[in-house]
Amino acid sequence: MSFMPKIKIDGKEYIAKENETILQCAQRNGIYIPRYCYHPSLSIAGNCRMCLVEIEKMPKLQTACSTIVAEGMNVFTSSEKVKKARKDVLEFLLKNHPIDCPICDQAGECYLQDYYMDYGLRKSRVSLNEKVRRGKRRQLGDYLILDNERCILCTRCVRFCEEVTKTSELFVANRGDHSFIDIKPETSLNNPYSLNIADICPVGAFTSADFRFRQRVWFLKTTESICLGCATGCRIKVQHNDNTVYRILPLPNEETNTWLCDFGRMTYKEMYSEDRLNHITIESQEFGLDLDKVFDYIKEVKPQEIAVFLSPNLSIEDNIALYYFASNVLKTENIFIPSLPERKIEDGILKNSDPYPNSTGIEIIANKLKLKKDEKTSEKFALVISSLEIAKTYARDSKGIFFSLTKSDMNGAIVPMKSYFENEGTFVNWQKYARKTTVSVVNEKAFSVFDVMKRLAVLFGSNSFFSSLKDIEKFISSNGIDKEFK
Amino acid sequence: MIKVKNIKIRELNIWERIYIPEIIRGLGVTLRHLFSNLLNPSSIPTISYPEEKVLLPGHAKERSRHRIKLRKDGTPKCVACMLCATICPAKCIHIEAGETENFVEKYPKKFDIDLSRCVMCGLCVEACPEDAIIMDTEEIPGGAKDRNASYGKDGLYATKEQLFEKKREISTFGAANRLANEFLLSKERGNRND
Amino acid sequence: MQDILLNLWISHKTQIVFVIESFLKATIFLNGIMAFTALLTLGERKVSALMQDRIGPNRASIFGLTLGGLFHPIADGIKLLTKEDFIPEKADKVFFTIAPIIGLVSVLTCFAFIPFGNHIEILGHKVRLLIADIDSSVFMIMAISSMAIYSPFMGGYFSGNNFAFLGAMRAAAQMISYESVIGLSLIPMLIIYSSASMSEIVVKQGNLLMAFIPAWGIFLQPLSFLIFLTAAVAENKRTPFDVVEGESEIVGYFIEYSSMRFGAFMFAEFVEIILVSMLSVTFFLGGWQVPYLSENGFNFPFSSAISIPPIIVSLLQVASFAIKTALFSVFLLIVRWTLPRMRFDQIMSFCWKFLLPLALANLFITALILRYLGTVRL
Repeated sequence: MSFMPKIKIDGKEYIAKENETILQCAQRNGIYIPRYCYHPSLSIAGNCRMCLVEIEKMPKLQTACSTIVAEGMNVFTSSEKVKKARKDVLEFLLKNHPIDCPICDQAGECYLQDYYMDYGLRKSRVSLNEKVRRGKRRQLGDYLILDNERCILCTRCVRFCEEVTKTSELFVANRGDHSFIDIKPETSLNNPYSLNIADICPVGAFTSADFRFRQRVWFLKTTESICLGCATGCRIKVQHNDNTVYRILPLPNEETNTWLCDFGRMTYKEMYSEDRLNHITIESQEFGLDLDKVFDYIKEVKPQEIAVFLSPNLSIEDNIALYYFASNVLKTENIFIPSLPERKIEDGILKNSDPYPNSTGIEIIANKLKLKKDEKTSEKFALVISSLEIAKTYARDSKGIFFSLTKSDMNGAIVPMKSYFENEGTFVNWQKYARKTTVSVVNEKAFSVFDVMKRLAVLFGSNSFFSSLKDIEKFISSNGIDKEFK
Repeated sequence: MIKVKNIKIRELNIWERIYIPEIIRGLGVTLRHLFSNLLNPSSIPTISYPEEKVLLPGHAKERSRHRIKLRKDGTPKCVACMLCATICPAKCIHIEAGETENFVEKYPKKFDIDLSRCVMCGLCVEACPEDAIIMDTEEIPGGAKDRNASYGKDGLYATKEQLFEKKREISTFGAANRLANEFLLSKERGNRND
Repeated sequence: MQDILLNLWISHKTQIVFVIESFLKATIFLNGIMAFTALLTLGERKVSALMQDRIGPNRASIFGLTLGGLFHPIADGIKLLTKEDFIPEKADKVFFTIAPIIGLVSVLTCFAFIPFGNHIEILGHKVRLLIADIDSSVFMIMAISSMAIYSPFMGGYFSGNNFAFLGAMRAAAQMISYESVIGLSLIPMLIIYSSASMSEIVVKQGNLLMAFIPAWGIFLQPLSFLIFLTAAVAENKRTPFDVVEGESEIVGYFIEYSSMRFGAFMFAEFVEIILVSMLSVTFFLGGWQVPYLSENGFNFPFSSAISIPPIIVSLLQVASFAIKTALFSVFLLIVRWTLPRMRFDQIMSFCWKFLLPLALANLFITALILRYLGTVRL
């Protein structure tokens, strides 16, 4: 059993963990201590001095982020002395701040603004013209813009590059008033996790070039969802307004991810690409949103000649709908799953070697429902039903019904599919965590796979198909598929 | 649990219960107002609006059709911070921000005010940190002038160009505009040196 | 032709003179009332505005001339006349149409019995300033003004609208209740002046009590005056008794009326204000009497007299009546804009449980006192 020191914070007694800092202990117990340089996933620097607290029997104020708790410590986080210290620290930090909040994307989620309203509220003693000027806008890499004037030198970004990505592109140049964040010569800030720097920057020094000026953050609404960029399945926050997704942020959790890669953050762009499909295409002809045309396309084909490939791009529910449609409506036995790549974290951070989000999921389905794997002889079948990515491998030349977000020159009926920002579905990541996407935005010009299958089942005259997602859930639990999920 | 608050109603005294003295007292109040206003009409606080105007408190002293102030070089002072669109209770301001190579990075790509929805509250002027939007054109939207107005195809829809007033007053107020001021000043100095 | 006319003139001289005289009196008097009503609509808006520290209507102008809003009644009239005249499908066309007319006619007819002056000599002919001089004019007024109940009732009942119907029911209940109180409050006056002719009542108010107080109804019967005033305001459906329609807040009997039909209801209301004022002036404030003014001039008590030519005396008396009526009308406006509205159950219980017993008691005591004092010499 480890040593558990008892400490007092603001007069109340708490039991701390061994080697915990005051700030962590306070945070765990719901007491917020303001901070700039401290980040739970980075090393402790203790250079911003914002988290100063008063400790009994210590002559000077101590930084809460770097002081390890000790038995019998008596900490005050909101005494007059502490408040004055915070006010003074804030004045120093804001001394050379350009206060160009109107053109700063951080405005609204800026620690400087928040703490100023909470503790500062003092007029600057340095006039705007006397402030030390550093460089304004400077593009570092594809996704990041650095504004050194706004920087408070907390070095979160430097530590991130050193400790997380281990690429160490950034460093603090110069000294004193003249120090600023700089990039090492002849490098560029293009590591695959660079946008996390914009997230962890407590002020507006690092901002995202992708999100730049597109929306003010206070307009954004947040829904929690998961990233479908690879089999890692990171939890994300989708931020959207007026039916448009504007950015994706990580939702830190212990199981999977603290950060989020740049590739995952850009997945929403597929929804807004110029190639986005918003009508049914059959043999290069456009048919609006009339699913009867798809039915006309397949009704002549004999059921035995139709093959259905479950897709690791689709959710569990949509795959079950595909399976059920094939086995109960078409009454075909040609239900396969494609061969799936190996799953492991490639770079030691997040990026998975498997690009599909639901490979584990369909493996579980295949096991439970006893499906065949990897039927490469697609010439055998007159028609293939699957998602476009799978069809590209398994039905290059045959006809088919393919679900796709974007336009394609494939031969067959291509049905516009709702992306999983517009549709809900369960995905099982490589660790077997089953997580659900949520509807962030609404799209009327696309179908979910389940919708298409339901309509086709009606047109085929079947009355035993699922009527809602609830029925699919029942099917999943009755077949014991969800027992494999974590 | 619903909280019950007992309100004690004051019991009327006998004088009030007779009612007639109270009627006379009430008549006294109304008559006092009647005669004091009759004898001294200037004491009536009413303002006959189009003829008389009173400057309102706050920055939006006048509240007529909006305009956007320009900098010395003719660019709009607005930096598309969207504070006006945020505070607007009628949600009638539509801004799309864009990036320029200019000294102030951000500018309004689109700045539309749907004047048919505007309630002329002046909050946009109060909210503006750049002193860019102002309501001092002395035109009242929807008034008689607008029947033949050239504002947009719907009469009451002002786009960015229509909001740019030609008045070239230089205002140095505003946080982001400091950059513009410095830039313009350095340019002037440079020219003088040449 | 000339001979026939001359013969007619000679044989029916008194009748012809009576017809012409009555026609002229009626024309002048009623037109005066109409003009005064129009001014009263403006007056109400102005008085309420001044009481509430506002300016009131001041925008209607002719060639840029506003005269403080004097043209607003004209503008109102033009507006009402040019508005769409709408009759609902479910309404009974005939009764819907005549309802406002009944109201206006029954109120205007009452003015025939009100003496607005004593008499005036024109071309050696003595003209009584009263349109119809009948002995029972008080009862005539009571009878005819009761007809006014039919106006709101028919208007609401035949509109084919449930809300209008409810409004009409409220109106009928209220007006019938207060009608009885009005009658009972006037009977003491008839007993005191021992006459049912209004001209005689006014003449008798010219006497003096104890040689210096004018024998006006208000001094002889202050309680009767208060009861009459209250009941008359209620009868007139004005605040504090306006739950019948309550203009902007309560749906009333004339909800389906528009344009000049609606205007007629409103106009009748204002004419009724004048009627109430004139009745109050006639019964309680000495009618056309000017204190201490007799046929020859002023006879002040305890001092000298001033002699005045009879024609001036007549004009002074008419002016006195007009001024009293105008001031009383304004008083009614002020009362309306001062008092808060009563609830309907309060209105009804106030009438039946308080005013009616009070009026009866007043009548009884008056009769008792007169029985023991003997008839007052007036």
